[in-house]
Amino acid sequence: MRKPLRRLRAALAAGAAASLALTAAACGDSGESDADITWWHIQNQDPLMSTWQEFADDFSADNDLTIDVQAIENQAFKDRMGTASQSGDVPDIFHTWGGGVLAEQVEAGLVQDLTGKLDCIDQINPIALEPYTIDGKLYGMPFDAGVVGFWYNMDLFAQAGIDAPPATWDEFLTAVQALKDADIAPIALAGADKWPGHYYWTYLAMRTVGLDGLEAAAEAGDFSDEGFIQAGEMVAELAAMEPFQPGFESAVYGEADGQSAVMGEGLAAMELMGQWAPQAQRDNSGTEGPENLGFFPFPTVTGGAGTTTEWLGGGNGYAVAADAPDEALDFLCNFMEPENYSRAITEGNLTPVAADPASVAPEMNEDTQKVVDALATATGTQLYLDQAYPPAIGGVINDATEGLLLGQVTPEDFVTMVNDAWAAEA
Amino acid sequence: MTLKESPGASPVTGRSDRRAGTSPRRRSGRPGAGTLATFIAPGLMLFLLFVIVPVLFAAYVAFFRWNGLGGVPTDFVGLENFRNLLQDEVFLGDLWRLGLIVVLSLAVQLPLSFGLAMLLHQRFPGRTAFRLLFFVPYVLTEAVTAVLFRLVLSPNRGFADSLLATVGIDTHIGWLSDRNIVMFVIFGILTWKFFGFHMILFLAGRQNIPDELYEAAAIDGATGAQAFRSITLPLMGPTVRMIVFLSIIGSVQLFDLVYVLTGGGPFHASETLAITMYEQGFQRNQIGYASALSIAMFLISLVFALLYQRFVLNRDLQGSLTNAGGNR
Repeated sequence: MRKPLRRLRAALAAGAAASLALTAAACGDSGESDADITWWHIQNQDPLMSTWQEFADDFSADNDLTIDVQAIENQAFKDRMGTASQSGDVPDIFHTWGGGVLAEQVEAGLVQDLTGKLDCIDQINPIALEPYTIDGKLYGMPFDAGVVGFWYNMDLFAQAGIDAPPATWDEFLTAVQALKDADIAPIALAGADKWPGHYYWTYLAMRTVGLDGLEAAAEAGDFSDEGFIQAGEMVAELAAMEPFQPGFESAVYGEADGQSAVMGEGLAAMELMGQWAPQAQRDNSGTEGPENLGFFPFPTVTGGAGTTTEWLGGGNGYAVAADAPDEALDFLCNFMEPENYSRAITEGNLTPVAADPASVAPEMNEDTQKVVDALATATGTQLYLDQAYPPAIGGVINDATEGLLLGQVTPEDFVTMVNDAWAAEA
Repeated sequence: MTLKESPGASPVTGRSDRRAGTSPRRRSGRPGAGTLATFIAPGLMLFLLFVIVPVLFAAYVAFFRWNGLGGVPTDFVGLENFRNLLQDEVFLGDLWRLGLIVVLSLAVQLPLSFGLAMLLHQRFPGRTAFRLLFFVPYVLTEAVTAVLFRLVLSPNRGFADSLLATVGIDTHIGWLSDRNIVMFVIFGILTWKFFGFHMILFLAGRQNIPDELYEAAAIDGATGAQAFRSITLPLMGPTVRMIVFLSIIGSVQLFDLVYVLTGGGPFHASETLAITMYEQGFQRNQIGYASALSIAMFLISLVFALLYQRFVLNRDLQGSLTNAGGNR
C-alpha cells in the first residue's frame, strides 16, 4: 500500500506545480486552419457580424477559396492575438488599431508591408492611414476612423437644468454637480476594463500640455512635466465627486449592465467614448438608446495648451500576416468596393475613412455625421495611448488611471509609474 | 498492537489481511523491463515535451527581458526580474491575498464541508437528494460560475440586491466593486463552488470507517462525542490532510473564476498570482517578468508540496487505516 500512495502524492504535487508553469510557457492559440485565409475580427455583434460573414462568403465563392472567419469579442481578441503573436503564427487577416502594438508585431516580422500593394488605397483619406504607418511604411488598412468625445443624454442634461454642453473643465465639474443634485448618475464608466478610464487622463494631459507636449514626453519617455501631474490631480478631483454609476468599479464596457448599456438605458447622463458608442449603446442595452443623444468635445483646461479641436481617437483596421496569400490583399480591397463599403457604413454606422465620404455614404446617420464633422475640423489627433505606446507602457497607464480614479494612486505616483515603465522599455 | 503481530485476520477491522492475500499475486504479475518501457515511453515523452520542457524554458526566459515576439530572448538581465518581483506591490499583495484565501478555506470552508458530510452520513429521508444538490455547484466550470455570479451580484438589477430588498434591506452593497469586501465575496463564491466537492471526499472518508469500531466503543460505554473524538477524527486524518493539500494548491492556482468575475480588480484588490502573471505576460507582453513570476509560483507550490509531504502526509505513509487503529 505504501508505494502507490506515495506515487499518487508525488504525481499530485508535480502535476499541480507543472500546470502553473505550463500556463506561462505553453500557449496554444494560433491562426492555424485548413482554410486558405483565416480572418479574425471583432465585429462580434449583429448587424456587422452577419455583414462581414456575407462579405467573406461572397468573396470565397467568387474566387473559389475558403475563408475561416472568427468573430471575437474585443478583450478576448487582444488576449488571443497576444498569444498568437508570441507563437509566431498570426491569422492571415487580423484586426488592428495600429500604433505601438502593431509596431511590436511588425518588429517581430509578423506583419506584411502593404506599401504600394493595395490598389484601393487611393480611395482612403491619407490621415486615416497614419496609425498604421510605421517608419514610412503602411502595415494596415483602416475601414473606420473616429474620435473620442462625450456622448450625452440631452434629456437628462435638460432635467438637471444644463442648457449647453460644458466648454471648460470648470463648467464640466459644475455640470457634474448639477446632475448629481438632480439625482442623476452623471457619468457611465467601465472601471474594470481600465481602457475607458484612461481616456480621461489622456484628454486632460492633452488639454494641459497640448499635443506637442504629449508627443515630446513620449519621445523622451519622461512625463514629469507639471501638466501631467495637474492632469492626474484633475482626474482625482473628478473621482472625488463620485460622478460614476453605482458599482462602476467592477463594471465592464460591453455587458448587459456595463457602461454602454447603462448609457443606452438612460441610467447615466454621459460617457467619454469613441465613434462606436451610439451603436454599442443600442446593442448592449437591447434598447433604441437615448432618444436625444448629443456629442461634445472634451472641455478645455484654463491655462492649458490644448484646444477642443485636438482629438483623441483612432480607428479600426486590418493587418495582413507576413506569410498570407495575395488573395488576402484582394479581400481587403473588396471591403472598399463602393457597394460593400457603403453597406457596411449604413448597417454598422461606421465612420467612413473614404477620401470622399459623400461618395460612399450620401446620407449618414446623424451620430456618425457628428464624428465625421469633428474629424473634418480637427487640428490634430492622438491615437489612444494604450494602443499608441508599447503594451507594457499602455498597460501601466490604464492601470495607474484606475488607481487615480479609485484614490489608490496619487498624481505624483502616476507620473513615477509611467516614467519607470518607459525607462524599463528603453 | 501492530500489524506485524496479526498475520491473519486483523483484530481491528475484522477483515482478512489484504496484504497477505494480494502480495504474492502482485509479485508474480510484475511486468518485465521491456513491457514497462513500451508502455511508459509515450506518456513520458508527452510529459517531457509538455511539462518538463516548458518548465525549463520558463526558468530560462525568467532571466531575460523579452516581449515574447520573434525568435528567442536575447536581452539577458540576470536576476532583475526577480528583484523587481520582490518590490512589486501587486505581487506582494497577491501573496497576502493567497494567505487570506488559504486561512479562510481552512478555518471556514473545510469545517463547513466536514460538518455537512457528518450530517449527510446520518440516515434520513432525502439524504441522496441533498448529497446530489450540494455537489451540483462543483460540476459547473469556474468561468460559468463567475458569469452567473456577475449577474447575481450586478449593482443595478442583481438578484442579491433584489433579494435583500424583499426582506427590507435596501442597501447597495458593492459586492464586487468595494475593495474592502471583494475578497470575502470571492471567498464566499469559492466556498459555494467547492464545499460540495470537499463534502463528498469527507463523506467517502467517513464511510470507510467500519461500523464495528463504533459498536465496540458503544459497548465500552463511549458517548457519541467520545466516539467522534477518538474514532471519527483520527480515522478521517488521511482524508483531511489530503483535502487540505488540494485546497491550498487550488488556492495558489486560482485564476478563471476571479479573472472572469473581477479581472483582479478593483485596482488589484482581488488579484491572484496567476492573474498578475497573465496580465504581465499576455497583455503587457513582458514574458520575462511573467516567467519569473511563474517560477516563483512553481517554487511556492514545490516547497509547500515537499514540506507538506515530509511533515504532514508523512504519517499517512505508514498505511492509513490499520495503522491509526493499531497505534492506539
